[in-house]
Amino acid sequence: MEETIQIEQALANIQKLVDNIETVIKGKRTQIQFVLTALLAKGHILMEDNPGTGKTVMAKTLAHSISGSSDSQGILFKRIQFTPDLLPMDLIGSHIFDDIKKEFVFKKGPLFCNFLLADEINRASPKVQSALLECMAENQITIGETTYPLERLFFTIATQNPVEMEGTYPLPTAQLDRFYIKIYFGYVDEATELDIYKDYLGIQNSLNTVKQVLTMNEILFLQKETEKVFIHDEIITGVRNIVRGTRSHPDIVLGASTRSGITFLKCLKAFALVNGRTFVTEDDLQTMSRAVLDHRLIYRNKEARQKALEQVVSKELDRLRKLNLNAAN
Amino acid sequence: MAIGKIHSLKKTLFQLLLLAVPTIIFICFILWRLNNFYAILDNEWLSQGLYFAAGCILAVGLFSYRFRFITITALVLLANYIIYATIQNVTIGEFDSFYASVKFYIFVILFSAGWFIGYGFSRSKYLTIIWSVLLLIIEIVLISKTADITVSSILNGLIPVLIYSFYIIYTTELIRNINEDETHFGWFVGKRLGAFAIVLLILFIAILSIFKGNFTAIEKEWGGGGKGQAGKGKGNSESMTQKDKNGGVSNKDQSKLSGSLNKDKQLVFVAKLDNFFENSNTPNPLYFTSVYYTKFDTATQTFEIDDKVPYNDLFTVDPSKIPLYFKKTDPSIIKKSLGVLNRKVVTTEVYNVSMSANSFVAPSHAFYCQPVAVPKEYKKQYQSAYVAKMWVSELNSAYFIYNPAGNKDLEHFQEQRFNLLRQIDQITGPDKAFMDYYTYMPSNEEYQKIGTLAHKITDEHPLPIDKIIAIRDYFLSKDELNQPLYQYSDNPGIPGLPSANKLNYFLFENRKGYCAYFAGATLFMLRSLGIPSRVVAGFLASDRSSKNPGWYWFYQDQAHAWVQVYFPEYGWIDFDTTIPDVNTQQAQQPDGTPPTDVPATYLVIDGTIVKTDTIKKLVTISSTKILYHDTEFVSKARYPLLTDVSLAAITSDTGEVSLKQLKNGIHVTAVSHAEALKTIYLQPNDSLLTVVNRLSKPIPVDEVKIITKEDQTKSKDTEKEKTSQPIDWLTVLCIILWMILGLCILTLFYPWFYWLYLNSKAKKAYPSVAEKAYHIHRAIQYYLNQMGHSYKYLGPEEFAYRIDQHYGTGYGYFNTLYQKARYSKIALTASEAEWVIQFYAPFIEKVKQQIHFKNRVKHFLNLYHTLNYFSKPKIN
Repeated sequence: MEETIQIEQALANIQKLVDNIETVIKGKRTQIQFVLTALLAKGHILMEDNPGTGKTVMAKTLAHSISGSSDSQGILFKRIQFTPDLLPMDLIGSHIFDDIKKEFVFKKGPLFCNFLLADEINRASPKVQSALLECMAENQITIGETTYPLERLFFTIATQNPVEMEGTYPLPTAQLDRFYIKIYFGYVDEATELDIYKDYLGIQNSLNTVKQVLTMNEILFLQKETEKVFIHDEIITGVRNIVRGTRSHPDIVLGASTRSGITFLKCLKAFALVNGRTFVTEDDLQTMSRAVLDHRLIYRNKEARQKALEQVVSKELDRLRKLNLNAAN
Repeated sequence: MAIGKIHSLKKTLFQLLLLAVPTIIFICFILWRLNNFYAILDNEWLSQGLYFAAGCILAVGLFSYRFRFITITALVLLANYIIYATIQNVTIGEFDSFYASVKFYIFVILFSAGWFIGYGFSRSKYLTIIWSVLLLIIEIVLISKTADITVSSILNGLIPVLIYSFYIIYTTELIRNINEDETHFGWFVGKRLGAFAIVLLILFIAILSIFKGNFTAIEKEWGGGGKGQAGKGKGNSESMTQKDKNGGVSNKDQSKLSGSLNKDKQLVFVAKLDNFFENSNTPNPLYFTSVYYTKFDTATQTFEIDDKVPYNDLFTVDPSKIPLYFKKTDPSIIKKSLGVLNRKVVTTEVYNVSMSANSFVAPSHAFYCQPVAVPKEYKKQYQSAYVAKMWVSELNSAYFIYNPAGNKDLEHFQEQRFNLLRQIDQITGPDKAFMDYYTYMPSNEEYQKIGTLAHKITDEHPLPIDKIIAIRDYFLSKDELNQPLYQYSDNPGIPGLPSANKLNYFLFENRKGYCAYFAGATLFMLRSLGIPSRVVAGFLASDRSSKNPGWYWFYQDQAHAWVQVYFPEYGWIDFDTTIPDVNTQQAQQPDGTPPTDVPATYLVIDGTIVKTDTIKKLVTISSTKILYHDTEFVSKARYPLLTDVSLAAITSDTGEVSLKQLKNGIHVTAVSHAEALKTIYLQPNDSLLTVVNRLSKPIPVDEVKIITKEDQTKSKDTEKEKTSQPIDWLTVLCIILWMILGLCILTLFYPWFYWLYLNSKAKKAYPSVAEKAYHIHRAIQYYLNQMGHSYKYLGPEEFAYRIDQHYGTGYGYFNTLYQKARYSKIALTASEAEWVIQFYAPFIEKVKQQIHFKNRVKHFLNLYHTLNYFSKPKIN
């Protein structure tokens, strides 16, 4: 009973969080939900779009909403601006000779935090990229003989400019796989854009005054709760069908892996929770499929990118839609 | 250098598929028909079709590129000429060269034709119209070459051309005007072609059914088709008799009024008529009746036999189906003849020469038929024979009936009968139905005209008999120039318009005709006067033999039609109003002697062969029925009787056959004239068994007649009828139309039916709310889909959101609950469940309110929506 109340409390908190972020990032509700999904699924998120679409603000707002503008609650928010000359050490940290103790001490880099904003990740050299991605996957850093675990809550929001831009090192597919979700930010619609211009000065201010709505513990609790979200067998079958569908689709050169299927399931659960539900629906399946799978697939051509996944998902949705799940009982 | 294209590949493909291919098929059809008429084509329509196809396809393909017609065609022609010249040089011998060049000539013509047509399909706007006209001309020429003119053959020839012409003009326009970027290009074209086909079909069926009557009339006019196939092959003529499949002659089932009458000098049958004037040896001939024509079909102008006659007094019997010496009688005929005065029973023996075995002729009101054996020495001459008995009116002596045409003796003689009949001042039938039936007249103006004439002729005569005589005399009367008013002619000519009333033409204009015209005209005159009458077809009897009194010879030219009039108590009385044919010479004197020495028959066995011994020529007949010394014995049990057939003559319907025909299981009648049997007399209380036991074994048999079992032949006949029945194209078309219509209705209404099904499912109560929600969901999705809101590529939530935006409904919330019921472990709360159950009907109502009924119907008829619903998302 207590748990139910807690869940309801948590669900309400998520709504609060979303609303809170939305006061700053206008007209990006879906993206906010995706970010939270990645957070709850204990994954990381990659946001891709042209500069100036609000990626960084989003990450900041999220961090502030949890930690508050002051660091009183112990949520550590770090931001790294990736550049081509950045070294892995700049991320991980390095051993520095302590004059007093006469020994090398490990000076933790910015990775040792709860929220990491990896800005323009594709501008860094592959060496740095892989260092970061390894941390994301393993949740620990090994330097020399010592292994340093990262924080219990470690969430990376990476942003990247569109791959075609100059001075970028595109992330290889294998590394993209580490990001649970990749979203496109996109421009806001005209009405929202006008709103933004009208109070453009206010954005900075509002960022500073972002209220803390959740504590870290609540986030951790939510992460735990995410695992309890119920997934119907048919939805799992649906995930299987979609994943396999991408492998057999003629326009997809490289289909989704089994790992991506697992990620998909995790994200589904988280997304359901973000939407205030304790069960996964067909809509979740559809919404998440693109966010989770799209960046893991290699398409034959540009046109296929538009259609192929959609076709696979539609087929699956069509199947589910016509299924009479309750008839048997 | 790339050559520019005029048509896209798609368009070219459509031109090939929808224009060239049907054209080639059609040309093959035309060539096939042409091959039937022109020897020069040498029956190679397939390869000729291929020549055409090659030219056509090549041209369509080539001219979809930017080629110039004149240059290319000139090149092709040049190539043709070079080949032609080479053939001339290469082939050795004049004949070979001629043959090869003719072949090549045909090739060039067809190839060039195909080439031009292909060019036209590709480029020209007007070619198809010219082309269609050309084809029609070709087809008309072909039809004019056809010998047998029936509606179906004309239609068979014309309909393909017409359909093809419509099709090709329509499709060319369609392909010319299509938008190639249209995504549902094929469907677009298919839809239109389908609609086009339906319209065409309806058109043809309408035309055919409306004018069917006219068609059949024309067909009969031309002497083909219909029941009377006998006219076929003789062309535009009519015969009073018909030939059956074995060449036997019988009176026709129907008699048409037509242009000319065919007469033959063939002997049909010989009859011995046991009818003499009282107390004298002077034979009293009688007309032999075959059928009564009681009905006249106004549409086809044909006299018809009707089985639904009141007081049907026609004795229908098939002598070939009765075992020899057994008899068939129908005493009810005597009663139905309605004649009581001056009646007597007369016997006749009919020896059939060329009449079909199953036809039966005898003077009026026969009621008895007994097939008898033809004496051995006459077997070659006569096929079969039977004895008939008739209830004959003494007033029906041929001398009474003959049209005297000025013969004073005859007129004087006939006064006897007239005096007798003058006692009747009014003719009343036995009942109203009888009178109504026999005085029925078509109500056309044309028939009223006949009535007017009849009244004009007969009004001064109060008595029916005098009216009849007046009509007879009217035909014999002379005009103001003292020329005969009417003439007998076997070739009266046909009226200008086939549908015009021929009787009117005969009576008022042409005034020439043969017996059927006179009889027909008389019939309607009498009927218009309220005198019950009918037309009789049969044979005119003329006493031509002085050597053998009582014997009459019937030739085919004696086939005749006359009128019978009903007089109360006297029954049906014959009248012949046909005027004598002044141009015809007397038929030749009959030669040959009549079969006189008919042997006495002692034993007749009717039964089935159970055993045959071909070496000893013994046959065992299992019998239940015998005739012994003219006494019939019937037993329930079957007795095997051993018979000796070594001397027997074996006959069947068609004449004498060999002994081999006697097989086990067939029905035969064995007849014995053996002198040995003469002395074995009958004893009282004899039964079949006792009689048979007294006879010596084997029983000598002189004749065996094979009788095909009635039911067998019947089934055979019906089978034959089935197979030989010409295909009724109208029915076929109708069936096809109905099928298409049914399919269309099914396809059109299927979406609606499916909706009713889903709707009913959604309204039903279910044990679980979740299931109810599922059915509601399904029905809503289908309904919305039909209304043009496709959920394809949309998640349920987004779809619901859009619907709510559009209609202001609460579908979004329903969807949330539905998804919860579906995928969650938590059951819906009571209020949520209630909400779900209450949701459905108001929702549909709300949607309905916002779409006009007309639009709803339109949406439901839109097959795209349904297809969309049932189609699975494509994975290319």
